[in-house]
Amino acid sequence: MAEAIKLYPQLTRVVSHFKKYDLEVPKSLLEVKAKKPDLSDFPYPLPLRKKDYCCYCESNNGVMWYGGKGGVTRYNPNADSLTDIVMHFSARRDLLDNNVCALVPDKDGVWVLTDNGATHIDMVLMSMEDKAYRLLDETLTYVQRHSMVSQKRLSEAGNLKSILPYGHSDNDGTFSAAYAIGEIFRYVTLKRELGDFAEETMEARKIAVRASEATLLLMYIAGRGDGFVARTYLTSNEPVPDDGLFYKKNGATASCVNTTDARNKKVVGLEVKADAPIPERLRRLYTCDGFEDTDITYKGDTSSDEITHHYLHLLVAHEFLGREDPEYDELLRTAAVNTMTHIIKNNFALREADGNYTTWAKWNLEYFNSPMGWADASLNAGQLLMYLRVTMHLTGESGIWQKTYDELIEKGYADLTVKHYDRFNQVCLQGGIDFREDIMYGDHMLAVTSLWGLITLEPDPVLKEKFRQAFRTWRGSLAPEFNPGYDFLYFLSDPDNAKPDADRIRTWFYRFNVSRLAASVSLDKRRDYPVRTYRGGYKETSALLPGDERFISKYDRDPLEYKNEDSGGVFCVESCYPYTFAYWIGRYFKFIEEGTN
Amino acid sequence: MDKTIKLVGNAHLDPIWLWRWQEGCAEVLQTFRSALDRLKEYNDFVFTCSSAAYYKWVEEIDPQMFEEIRIMVKKGRWVPVNGWWVQPDCNMPSGESFARQALYSQLYYYEKFGITCKTGYNVDSFGHNGMLPQLLKKGGMDFYVFQRPNMNENSEIPENLFWWDSADGSRVLTYRLPDGYAANGKESLDRRIEEMNKRAEETGHGMMLFYGVGNHGGGPARGDIEYLIENLEREGYNDLEFSSPDEYFEDILNEFLDLPSWSDDLQHHASGCYSATSLIKALNRKAENALAAAEKWDTVSSIVADSKPCTEEFEKAWKKVCFNQFHDIMCGCSIMEAYEDVKESEGYALNIASESYNNAVLRIARKIDTWIEGVSEPVFEERHFSGADNGFPRPVVVFNPHSYEVELPVRTHHPSKAVTDSDGAEVLFQNVRSSRSNDNHLDTLFMAKVPAFGYATYWLEFDNEARAEKELSGEQNFFMENEYMTVELDSQTGYIKSLVDKKSGVEYAGENFLAIPTVINDETTDTWAHNVFKFHEVKGLMELVSIERVENGALRSVVRTKHKFGESYLTQEFILAKGQKTLRVDCKAMWQEKFTMLKFAFPTGGSEESSTYEIPCGYIKRPCNGEEEPALNWADLTVTKDGKRVGLSVISDSKYSYDCPGAELRLTALRNVIFADHYSDRPAADFNFTDEGLNRFSYGIYLHEDEAENSDIVKQAHTFNNNVVAVPESYHKGELSQKESFIYTNLDNVIITALKRCEDGSGDLIVRLYETKGIECSRGYIMSKLFDGGFWYDIGKHEIKTFRIDRETNVSEVNFLEGIVE
Repeated sequence: MAEAIKLYPQLTRVVSHFKKYDLEVPKSLLEVKAKKPDLSDFPYPLPLRKKDYCCYCESNNGVMWYGGKGGVTRYNPNADSLTDIVMHFSARRDLLDNNVCALVPDKDGVWVLTDNGATHIDMVLMSMEDKAYRLLDETLTYVQRHSMVSQKRLSEAGNLKSILPYGHSDNDGTFSAAYAIGEIFRYVTLKRELGDFAEETMEARKIAVRASEATLLLMYIAGRGDGFVARTYLTSNEPVPDDGLFYKKNGATASCVNTTDARNKKVVGLEVKADAPIPERLRRLYTCDGFEDTDITYKGDTSSDEITHHYLHLLVAHEFLGREDPEYDELLRTAAVNTMTHIIKNNFALREADGNYTTWAKWNLEYFNSPMGWADASLNAGQLLMYLRVTMHLTGESGIWQKTYDELIEKGYADLTVKHYDRFNQVCLQGGIDFREDIMYGDHMLAVTSLWGLITLEPDPVLKEKFRQAFRTWRGSLAPEFNPGYDFLYFLSDPDNAKPDADRIRTWFYRFNVSRLAASVSLDKRRDYPVRTYRGGYKETSALLPGDERFISKYDRDPLEYKNEDSGGVFCVESCYPYTFAYWIGRYFKFIEEGTN
Repeated sequence: MDKTIKLVGNAHLDPIWLWRWQEGCAEVLQTFRSALDRLKEYNDFVFTCSSAAYYKWVEEIDPQMFEEIRIMVKKGRWVPVNGWWVQPDCNMPSGESFARQALYSQLYYYEKFGITCKTGYNVDSFGHNGMLPQLLKKGGMDFYVFQRPNMNENSEIPENLFWWDSADGSRVLTYRLPDGYAANGKESLDRRIEEMNKRAEETGHGMMLFYGVGNHGGGPARGDIEYLIENLEREGYNDLEFSSPDEYFEDILNEFLDLPSWSDDLQHHASGCYSATSLIKALNRKAENALAAAEKWDTVSSIVADSKPCTEEFEKAWKKVCFNQFHDIMCGCSIMEAYEDVKESEGYALNIASESYNNAVLRIARKIDTWIEGVSEPVFEERHFSGADNGFPRPVVVFNPHSYEVELPVRTHHPSKAVTDSDGAEVLFQNVRSSRSNDNHLDTLFMAKVPAFGYATYWLEFDNEARAEKELSGEQNFFMENEYMTVELDSQTGYIKSLVDKKSGVEYAGENFLAIPTVINDETTDTWAHNVFKFHEVKGLMELVSIERVENGALRSVVRTKHKFGESYLTQEFILAKGQKTLRVDCKAMWQEKFTMLKFAFPTGGSEESSTYEIPCGYIKRPCNGEEEPALNWADLTVTKDGKRVGLSVISDSKYSYDCPGAELRLTALRNVIFADHYSDRPAADFNFTDEGLNRFSYGIYLHEDEAENSDIVKQAHTFNNNVVAVPESYHKGELSQKESFIYTNLDNVIITALKRCEDGSGDLIVRLYETKGIECSRGYIMSKLFDGGFWYDIGKHEIKTFRIDRETNVSEVNFLEGIVE
């Protein structure tokens, strides 16, 4: 492998907002007389029109700050990277509003006066590892719920103090699995670098195990005894939202809660077995808070997204936690076997309590040959093969798993994995839209996780090459995101053909926003990013904005999408996994390492 | 699976081929009339026809009939296809030309019919470059129909229906016609119905059957339509249905088929057409470059000098160029008389280019401050060189139309005794022989360094003492050297006997000579060279008549050779100038050899040979198997030699044909065969030949390390083809500085091909660029004084991007249709 890319500490934006007359606000900010800057020979694209800048100041090391109608622009002609030469700060994430009236320097940062108050933009020297910890801390403090992570809602935009105590996501399993994988890689990285018993290693293990257990619990919590996996669960102190199928556990059975979906499917009150035992060490995740099994309401109608993330999590947890904890490894193994058995017994699908397949977890040829499943077939075929490989790997057995795998290969599942672009592109054309506007961006993570898992475990060189070819069919839509979370796994899967781009990887980490607090940006005020409108009306920017200047999202959104608002709206705080997943995988596999200035 | 055979009633019309355009125009009118009548007679019949130029003729000549067509288009009975001005040759036009084919045609269709074409349709064109999927998609088309090469010519290409990908990732659903575009008559229809039925059964999907009298127009005849109606439900056959390509492709999309894909170009057919009739090739290249450059300066002028943009004139000029890219014209296989018409219309385009170019650069030049207080005043009114006679230098403004800085020798038509730049620094110059035989016989060549898409002002002090005979002294040797290479010509043969890249140290000549003018026997083929893909029968090498050194100055050296073969002569001037990576060779051939080709051979030797050819907005690798290959400005042979990976590129100012038999690259400069000879029995007649007479052209030799795409070849070739312009100026005050850059991009692998006004009259600017090296890049940016700002862009490998900038500096990324069509 090539030499690791060194990530150096960077001046990183940390923003605090104040009322105009707060004591912390320097008097000079209120008194300074704004002078219009002369930007006639400015050598780089400026976010705002030159005439819209109305004030400027100079901070340490010749860094210039320009304020105007549309935010604040920082110009550091000596920045190491082209991306960092011109930075922009806009409302509401970085400023209270976009009407900048005055600027005064403050060491490396600046004080900004706008119509609605003052903002202190502090440029804090921060390593990328520091950033990972800072983001993790935010997640642990504000986002996690029963040690699962997705996002939390706020009652007031941009105010972490207004966080609502409850809230689930349809994809708690997905996001928690990705978070757990990141934390497991943190643990094993620190273990390698600092030793088994270093305080940081021990702390990392504790968090990794808890995240892993929270994820694994979802594979047991339904208690149906048939390997059915729940999307998420709520405890009795949390309201049940009218959003999907929920089952309230009552002891031996669980009954389907009255929701719109349940009514539409005519399953309100449907009873389903719920007393299959839940391993005690996993139960503790809610019993420690005083809840019993009968306090649990879990969410069903589980999708292939969830199952795919669970199986990758099983693989990673087995490798790094299970091998040093046989009891836990047995839980992982059992979960893999139970769910795999469920899928095989149910004609390669997840079956719900009413006997029907769940909406989005079908891996059989009937689905693949249907209009709905035809374009999904490539992705789903790879997923199913990955589950089988993981199950074989965890159990060390072949038997039914290998037999099933061979049958699927015989039926053309491996060949299907390479048809993603062909089929997806055709479906887009059929709909009269362009390829990029029909992408389900969450599918990128599914493709990456399933194909990486598959390529890692596949012993047959011919099949391995076919799966690599399959991975390449996704690169056209994956590559423009420049997401190392995807790219590292791609490089691992296809080391002879794919090489890391140091500049892009550095930029992604350096400019990842230091908080996951959603508050929106003002992309619509900017002139330096062209907008591309596809024939279906979908809009993207022609260049990828740095992470700290675009909306906040998980891995399930198009980072090029032309929009101001974060994917969860402005009333939310997201989890850290998009950063920590990429960072710790990168560290573990030595794609990146920390450098010192 | 639906295996219906779609019956596509069409009329393939050659506006020029074995007839002149006037006849083609009349045939269009007649064919369209016939089609309308058939549409009225048969309710299910659908008519398909390409080429916006034909509709434009009808609109202008017979507006009433045009209205009838509009009604039929609205009803979906008449389906315009191919959103291009004609069915062009699909190898030789530049990327910018393909953009214009789409721009003017799709906007025309949109304006007149409220539609844009979804299907690209070049059923007769002789091969299709590998970038077409992107060029089609960015012109608003998702589908493509072609015929050539057929299965006999290339059976590796999927037989009928496939996804065709270009290197940037663009993809079009493509159909290769299995059996012609012009079935007519019962026998022909029967045979094709049977063939289509068989193919539908084999492939499991529907097919298209194209019928209707073609080439000289005609379209579907009454008898054919009636026969097809009788057979709509023939027993034992799949259904037949009157339809169009659009409908066929849309129906295919609704089938869940796993179709094959193809990611190479579609070659070869009529390989002789890459070189036949040098005249049209040269005119096309010249017009493409002149218009693109003129349009850029016209746009600048409209902003800095507030002049009215010539958008409408450029539209007219580009349409002429687009028309002449029609495959039978551009491929040189039409009758001789047709090329008289071609000269006229290319002349029209070139005249628009040169007038608007001159007007624009002079308007800009006159805004430059060349006034020196206390100095300029006394000479302000003086004309010609009297000011210079008084020791006062004259300003010359050099304009660079490229989006990158250039440094190269520039000529003015008078001798100088000193040249300085706008900062007063001395500039390297050399007085060289002029083309005139008047006064002192001398011009000045000076080394100009001009910023990206900008200008630089130089001050030339006239030398009225200069005399031509003083300029060459010393012994007659044929060795030349600059910072990048050494070249030596052989005194016995006049070929290059040594060519060394000073950076790599590699000798390219070695045991072989290079630049060998080789005469190829081409007697047994026809004008197209149907079914002939290699031209290897050497008739002889041209023999040296004379060799002389004509220049040996500080700025450049020139060696002139004269060769003879039969009754033909070739003069070459090998020019190596300081700081230039390309050895330039200016050629004058007086050609008389019938049924011949003239090739320049570069047998470099070496192993692991790889040949690379420029295609529109990109390049492509093809096997070194000696087949004749089309290319735009350059072709390259890269080999491993002396343990190093090195390449030799040949650049041309007007040629499009090369071959590469192993470790040898050959430029095909001339092809002298009978006009429009289709394997005839050549009755005794005094035929005219395609390249007989005087031919002037230039080629360049560029050496590099590494693979061609990693070298500087694209910029070298574009600079070679589109030189800077020197404008002698006078003394005046002005608001512009003496050196300026108007638009710039930071990425080395991106060049800007168009800067123009948007066609919708909004005044918005259009900037088009493409990636040259096959590398995806982020953080590209454009900076421009024209809109007082800049913007960022990411670009994929081989990607073409078009940006539209409005008056408020909002920037949008659009396709070739400039965001005018939703």
